[in-house]
Amino acid sequence: MTEYIKLIDLTKCTGCRACQVACKNWNDLPAESTGFTGSLQNPADLSYNTWCLIRFDEIQNGSGMNWIMRHDACMHCEWPACVKACPSPGALVRTDTGAVVHDPNYCIGCKACTAACPFDIPRYSAEQEKIAKCTLCYDRITDGRKPACVTACPTGCLTFGPKAEMLAKADARAAEVQGVVYPRNPKYRTNVLYIMPKAINVAQLQHTNPNPKMPTTILWWKNLFKPFTLIGMGAVAGAAMLHYMVRGPHEPHEPENKEGGE
Amino acid sequence: MSAKKEGMVYVTSLQERIVHWLLAGSCLFALLTGLGLMFHSWDFIAALLGGHYAMKWMHIFSGVVFAFSLVAASIMWWEHCKFVPDDLKWAQQAGGYLWEAHDLPPGGMYNAGQKLFFWAVFVFGIILVVSGLIMFNPLAVPVVLARWAYMLHAASVMVIASFFIVHLYLGTFGNPGTVQIMFHGWATRDYCEFHKGKWLADREKKGGEESQAS
Ligand code: HEM
Ligand code: SF4
Ligand code: SF4
Ligand code: SF4
Repeated sequence: MTEYIKLIDLTKCTGCRACQVACKNWNDLPAESTGFTGSLQNPADLSYNTWCLIRFDEIQNGSGMNWIMRHDACMHCEWPACVKACPSPGALVRTDTGAVVHDPNYCIGCKACTAACPFDIPRYSAEQEKIAKCTLCYDRITDGRKPACVTACPTGCLTFGPKAEMLAKADARAAEVQGVVYPRNPKYRTNVLYIMPKAINVAQLQHTNPNPKMPTTILWWKNLFKPFTLIGMGAVAGAAMLHYMVRGPHEPHEPENKEGGE
Repeated sequence: MSAKKEGMVYVTSLQERIVHWLLAGSCLFALLTGLGLMFHSWDFIAALLGGHYAMKWMHIFSGVVFAFSLVAASIMWWEHCKFVPDDLKWAQQAGGYLWEAHDLPPGGMYNAGQKLFFWAVFVFGIILVVSGLIMFNPLAVPVVLARWAYMLHAASVMVIASFFIVHLYLGTFGNPGTVQIMFHGWATRDYCEFHKGKWLADREKKGGEESQAS
């Protein structure tokens, strides 16, 4: 199976929110009642029923005002912290398409993934006792189609294709607009990439992680303390058996059993 | 239970034994369900207990029982487990467990190793309970704190689970005559002289009601 990448070119987004609507539509997600928060961003945040969201930021850089609309959804990490944290087999899976999918049938609502994700993506519903997030339209892409958001996007901001092709395209486009490709951490790659416009530093945008990586605490939890729980118990059990064989049970020694006595 | 018995000493009261087994039972059940949540390859545990979702709630409830029994156990064992100068002497000779020791001070209710186990359960038990509460609703705290909770929870399990194996060995095969202290409460007088000499002498000085010299 091919690995895919979704590229989000922030120099092209007009904030039309066709992607937001298409996502709801394809995934059968109910609308939510929202209020005006002083921004065009609506609803205000991702939720169990809102898997992708256009975030609006007004950024004053030097002389000009930049109005940034950013398509925010799961980044489909190559080495996903959410999957690493999840205790329930099958609830979160990284597929060979690059899409990281959740399966509500297996989610037990423990919320570990919400804490582990470096991008703060999974959203918990107390009524459902489960999390939900973008699946990169796994059901569509395994059927040869593009994700609903990409199909809907009228401006070319969202594009989708095989990994190698999209990486080359991202580099070329970044060079063209003198921007950068985000994220670029070679130790924490994602199957969703952004073209950041020249005037914008990712740290200035809301709900971003300028240095995404596997959280160290999650790494220590799963790669150190988890194996050493078994290693520790096993080593101690082995030592106990050895002690029993070498030293025997700890008892007052009967003088007659001992050469020379005590 | 506490009627006098020839050559036997009544070491633990019924309350002590109940508290011990509440603590041990909840701890072991939480360990079992916790390992089931930690190791995907051990899904036979979930299969036995009715699935991961059921196991999550069993883990949480056994954690709550563990929290309350930890409070009770701490009140009960606090005095017994305070370290005293003799503990250093005991520790320097590894209690006679590893090589022949000739200079062991007579033991109190618990030796330095048992005290260490108690303090490990106390300290890491508190960390487990507090981090567990955070993990119950990680969304209520800053994410950095939530992540620390997951890590510390696992680290504490590692410590307590390893200590538990030592405890299991020393409470059964390693020290014949010990395990019954946590079942019917009685140990032989010889056992108490060997393991808890100072405790026995103190108790008899005070005219210990239930102890019985043969
Ligand atoms: C099935 C396994 C277990 C057995 C057979 C067992 C047995 C015993 C025995 C015989 C004693 C009395 C020792 C004495 O009077 O010298 C004891 C004490 C104690 N047990 Fe356990 N126990 C078990 C599990 C646990 C677990 C899981 C915990 C912790 C969460 C625990 C915590 C303690 C503590 C703190 C003491 C008092 C201090 C000490 O002996 O270190 N036990 N146990
Ligand atoms: S962005 Fe978060 S939820 Fe999405 S794959 Fe990465 S860690 Fe998982
Ligand atoms: S909330 Fe669900 S998907 Fe997230 S870690 Fe827990 S079981 Fe896995
Ligand atoms: S559909 Fe395309 S242009 Fe419209 S908001 Fe989404 S990403 Fe931006």
